Amino acid sequence: MAEPSSKDPAAAWQDLVVQWEKNINALANRTMGSDEFSKSINRAMSLSAGMQSSLGEVMGRYLASLNLPSRAEMTSIGGRLQAIEERLDRIHALLQRLAGVAEPGAAPASPRPPRTKRPPGRGVKP
Amino acid sequence: MTATGEIEAFGPRVQAEVERAIQRNIKGLEYFTSPAPVLGATPKDVLHKRGTLNLYHYRPLADEVYRVPLLMVMATTNRGYIFDLAPGQSLVEFLLKHGYDVYLIDWSPPRPDESRLRLEDYTLAFIPDCVRRVKEDSGEEQVTILGYCMGGVLSVIYAALHPDTPLKNLVCFTTPIDWNHMGLFTKWAHRDFFDVDRLVDALGNVPSELIFTSFEMLRPATRSAGQIKLWENMWNDEFVKSHRMFERWSTDTLPLAGEYFRQTIKELMWQNGLFKSELTLGGRRADLGNIRAPVLHAVAEHDHIVPYDAAKPLVERVGSIDKQELVLKGGHVSVVAGGNAVKRLWPKLDAWLGERSI
Repeated sequence: MAEPSSKDPAAAWQDLVVQWEKNINALANRTMGSDEFSKSINRAMSLSAGMQSSLGEVMGRYLASLNLPSRAEMTSIGGRLQAIEERLDRIHALLQRLAGVAEPGAAPASPRPPRTKRPPGRGVKP
Repeated sequence: MTATGEIEAFGPRVQAEVERAIQRNIKGLEYFTSPAPVLGATPKDVLHKRGTLNLYHYRPLADEVYRVPLLMVMATTNRGYIFDLAPGQSLVEFLLKHGYDVYLIDWSPPRPDESRLRLEDYTLAFIPDCVRRVKEDSGEEQVTILGYCMGGVLSVIYAALHPDTPLKNLVCFTTPIDWNHMGLFTKWAHRDFFDVDRLVDALGNVPSELIFTSFEMLRPATRSAGQIKLWENMWNDEFVKSHRMFERWSTDTLPLAGEYFRQTIKELMWQNGLFKSELTLGGRRADLGNIRAPVLHAVAEHDHIVPYDAAKPLVERVGSIDKQELVLKGGHVSVVAGGNAVKRLWPKLDAWLGERSI
């Protein structure tokens, strides 16, 4: 980093921001490296995960009683449908390739470049 | 310098600052009204897709390519477009233009039913399956694998579990091996405090917010400082473009499959199984000494996510004769992408890999 000029307020400001960032990060790292911090953060995380899980279960039971799927089930179904569509696309493309039919609007398969490249300075291939 | 001289020298600086202040206001408005930058736009084809796994093949940009195809393995925590940010700042584009045939394993968020995926699925099924497909697609017997961060860990485990693999070279970027040196992660996830079973049992997949927050907490002031620096440099189009790309990527974290996360914590972090060569998956021991292919490991001097001491043992412990560690200036991300990487890592990677891809 360039040495900040004491007479350049813009450079001094930039230096101040850099120093502030370094100092806060260092201070936070010291604090967060303690056993107490690890204990409290994990307690909070366990609590939050437990609540999230319980809430999900309660909501799931409530939705089931209404004969409705939960968000997780809908997301899962969506994911599955997408996977089925992709698989169907691949089967379709494969069948067309086997039948020798070009996909409408598909660009012609471009030839692959030869695998003959040598690193610079290695001269021509034998 | 005399007082008059100082005032004269100060004048142009004030003028420049006033011009920048005007530009900041104009471009600041543009910043908030313009769409997010398009990332990952290098043309590619989907070679294979299976749940969380995506295998892409990039279309060639050179008239001839090296014999050995290159399979990149992205970290499971983030999106693969870090390798393909924008034209001129894309590692994929750089490699394609330099004659590499590039494939990429990229990850989608695991579905709820994929919460049971384990390290075995990644290293004994996904990667071997992709290697087979790359061999089939390219018509070549050998493949080079390049893994970044956790992608590097998976690649190393794969290579260690498959001594008979057709691996031509193994390239790793910032790959942790000794998990006792993972800094704050080691402390937060200490077995005395962290109930990983409770977390995974309660949530299934580990949410992306948790992954994002744990990365952010390593440097809590950096995001705020970044916003100040963005405002200061709002007049500078290149800075703003770069900031937006990295901002978007760093906030685009992925959830992790629950069982895979549980194993990572227990077997890699608590037992340090990879470092001790005690990690056993599918009845096979992942001994780093089994890796005989040429190895290049690029690590960052100022990596706050994977500190140097965590990454260092890779080159020391692999059984390869041809092995090299590159210690580069930069952080965990800037070492692989952005202006720093374009100047430092990419040319060195090309020089090392070109010689070994024929």
